Amino acid sequence: MLEIEGLTRRFGSVKAVDGVSLSVPAGQMVGVIGRSGAGKSTLLRLINRLTEPTEGRILFEGRDVTKLRGKDLRDWRTGCAMIFQQFNLVQRLDVLTNVLIGRLNHRHGVLAKLGSLLCQFSPEERAMALSTLERFDLLSTALQRSDTLSGGQQQRVAICRALMQQPRIILADEPIASLDPRNARTVMDALAQVNKRDGITVLVNLHHLDTAREYCTRVVAMQQGRVVFDGAPSELNAARITQIYGISEAEFQAEAAAAVKAAPDFDLPRQSALA
Amino acid sequence: MSTHHMGPAEIDSWRARMPRAFGPTPRGRVLRVLAGVAFLTWLIGTLWMFDVTLTRLLNGFSGLMVIIRLMVPPSPGEMWVEILQGIAESLAMAFLGTFISALIAVPLGFLGARNVMTNTLFRFSLRRIFDGFRGVDQLIWALAYVRAVGLGPLAGVLAIATADIAVLAKIYAEAIENAERKQAEGIAAAGGSPTLVMRFGILPQVAPIMLGHALYFFESNTRSATILGVVGAGGIGLQIAERIRVRYWDEVAFIIILMVLTVAAIDWLSGKVRRRLIGAR
Repeated sequence: MLEIEGLTRRFGSVKAVDGVSLSVPAGQMVGVIGRSGAGKSTLLRLINRLTEPTEGRILFEGRDVTKLRGKDLRDWRTGCAMIFQQFNLVQRLDVLTNVLIGRLNHRHGVLAKLGSLLCQFSPEERAMALSTLERFDLLSTALQRSDTLSGGQQQRVAICRALMQQPRIILADEPIASLDPRNARTVMDALAQVNKRDGITVLVNLHHLDTAREYCTRVVAMQQGRVVFDGAPSELNAARITQIYGISEAEFQAEAAAAVKAAPDFDLPRQSALA
Repeated sequence: MSTHHMGPAEIDSWRARMPRAFGPTPRGRVLRVLAGVAFLTWLIGTLWMFDVTLTRLLNGFSGLMVIIRLMVPPSPGEMWVEILQGIAESLAMAFLGTFISALIAVPLGFLGARNVMTNTLFRFSLRRIFDGFRGVDQLIWALAYVRAVGLGPLAGVLAIATADIAVLAKIYAEAIENAERKQAEGIAAAGGSPTLVMRFGILPQVAPIMLGHALYFFESNTRSATILGVVGAGGIGLQIAERIRVRYWDEVAFIIILMVLTVAAIDWLSGKVRRRLIGAR
């Protein structure tokens, strides 16, 4: 059970997330929707603690994770794996190593940590990584550099990395926004499979309402940092969307898709060697 | 669940299916060991060749400590006006040398860039000439110019300029090759001549990079201008060399401190200039 209580994050005078309270029982697949700037990404980043909350608490199974530091914080992050829009794989490392990165925080003792620096993983870890890759039809790519893969493949590698963390929760921030429809489907199928078969709670930010309706058991809609809808996907019909956002569903989708493409932090500026 | 812990049998079956995922092949392993042995042999061989031993290193270290003790407290001596003049001269040499080389390197950079100079033979020869010039160190140029134009800062300026033209031209050429074609295409589509395409399509993209590199070279040349003085090419180096000869280590220390301060000041200043120019896109 993940409980969020009055979670707020301010950036200057803007409240990106404004007093959000949610309670997510284990095993749910929750879709988070909203227009750009609604605070969806910030919400997920707050849960993983990549962004620090200004106010409020996050409780996981009764334990406050908002104040964790050092080793405890890293353990929490391992337990709530993050999937990013741009996959965030290490491009120059091979797929297998990228997946093995999910094990780094599971290695204990000085020797194992030194081994990690030298890229030494145990045969068991390697076998685990290979079987995870096979599960998502990626085994043949294991020894390729990850930048040789298509976007859909890379996102599934990122899911493999997340699974290697043996997380309780997966937080997916616009996982299919940079993918074509066919690849988007394989990635969403992978997330749904992880949710059903492994029983991992999935929180996924989506801008496509149809996707949310198809895959999620619960939809949370956000507007200006607040939760404005929380319920079954079937309740979130076109009329309700217009009521909440003041625009039609088609407009909502077009706007969200455009915003995702224009998101500045994903389009890294070309940098000179000096910058 | 796939991310369960595995028994040895399962691990072995994976190893059989995909041996490469578990490390290098036996052949690769042998090659790796061989390469390691070769590297170690080379390392130990060079240490042996130069007779690098722990006792020699320790002796050298204690000798160095003696020098450092002689340096305290640093003292300007009686010739501090000459010292300041020398530093100013070194600084001027570095500035002039870098300026000249940066200026000449711009057209050479364009001529050496694949996207500008389509004549492969010409470009290739030019690049090889750059490489050749880069192979000769500043100090050698300085020695040559001292014979050619006589003792003094002119030899130093020429040495700095000659040595840096080729390096800067190569860096500039690479920056130009990395420039975006779309912007240049926009100028061509508006009816611009090849020269104007370079001026308005490429130069604005690469100018901050060029300037940034020139500023870095200015910094590093301020340091190397010290050495040029030792061979008679002007600047503070001569004064350092003279004081070392007569073991006035306290005055050497004073000059070194001044040099460090000067370089730090330039570093700070050029950092500010660079941020200003590159930041204001």
